[in-house]
Amino acid sequence: MLARRSLARIATQPSPLGVAPKNARNMATLREIELRLKSVKNIEKITKSMKMIASTKLAKAQRAMQSGKQYGLANSEIFQHAPSETPAKRKLFIVVSSDKGLCGGIHSSVSKATRRAIADTEKPVESDSPIMVIGDKSKMQLSRVLGKNLAMSFNQIGRDIPTFADAAGVADLIVKSDVKYDGISIVYNKFISAVSYESDIVDVAGENALKESAGFRAYEMEDDVTKDLAEFSLANAIYAALVEAHACEQSARRNAMDNASKNAKDMIDRLTMQYNRGRQAAITNELVDIITGASAL
Amino acid sequence: MSSATWRNFFTYNKYAQITARAVRQSLKESERVVAEKRGTTALKYQQWENGVGGPQVLLNPEEVKKVGKSAAV
Repeated sequence: MLARRSLARIATQPSPLGVAPKNARNMATLREIELRLKSVKNIEKITKSMKMIASTKLAKAQRAMQSGKQYGLANSEIFQHAPSETPAKRKLFIVVSSDKGLCGGIHSSVSKATRRAIADTEKPVESDSPIMVIGDKSKMQLSRVLGKNLAMSFNQIGRDIPTFADAAGVADLIVKSDVKYDGISIVYNKFISAVSYESDIVDVAGENALKESAGFRAYEMEDDVTKDLAEFSLANAIYAALVEAHACEQSARRNAMDNASKNAKDMIDRLTMQYNRGRQAAITNELVDIITGASAL
Repeated sequence: MSSATWRNFFTYNKYAQITARAVRQSLKESERVVAEKRGTTALKYQQWENGVGGPQVLLNPEEVKKVGKSAAV
């Protein structure tokens, strides 16, 4: 009984040889903590400045979005009054994102919406529906999953506020390409508020769908003019989607950088505490060494 | 209007962009600078075949390069 208790006592006491000199280990980790602290402080500065830039860009982008949305609204009015008789089977998906990252879930939200729409069972679309992507980030994501469907991709849009010239160029290339489709679906991010967005799909009728709809046939339009209208309404819809997606991207980047700065600040506080505690422990150990050494003399 | 042959060569969007460029270039200097910004596009596109992308092509390659100052005047 006594032997058992003494064994337990020996087990709990630290072995006299095994403990490494505390000073040495703390000094090494102190250096590491200092380096980490410096790098996290730099990161915090960068994310804070990115947040400032994104919030000024957001103000401008929101103004452009208010005026750009009118194009999209005027567009959709035509299609409301001239609904297509037969649902489009072969849809061309136009995915609107951008080239730059560090903006939260913007690109993946749009890519996921496209994948969901293609795999949709309620309103089935052909599995080899062509996809055209605006923006490198979504292009990367979609080329991995739906690479066979990709027909064309565009980039260098979204550096500044998108212009109608961008949208007209995209529409021009789409019409000139020999991609066959019945209707077009534009997948973009809808701006709900300065802190939230969600993916949305807007349908644009092709030239044939317009010609066949009853509302349109009430007017006798020349075929040429109908083709012009279809092309122009495509450019309109693309422009409205581009501008709104740009505003969403700026707001998402601002929020992401805001969160990153907050996290960096928390990390800095934690690391500073750790550093100070380590420093004080090292000083205390040195004092203890000195005092015991002095008392031995 | 019905005898317009431009439809054989380009789409309505290209037609609208050409006319817009003409209007912009005819504006007064101060307004023109503001309007030029609204008409700029640096769009690049690439065709894809079977999951492989082709070369990236500029939509509007630089048409007029500014004449630089030469050393020997």
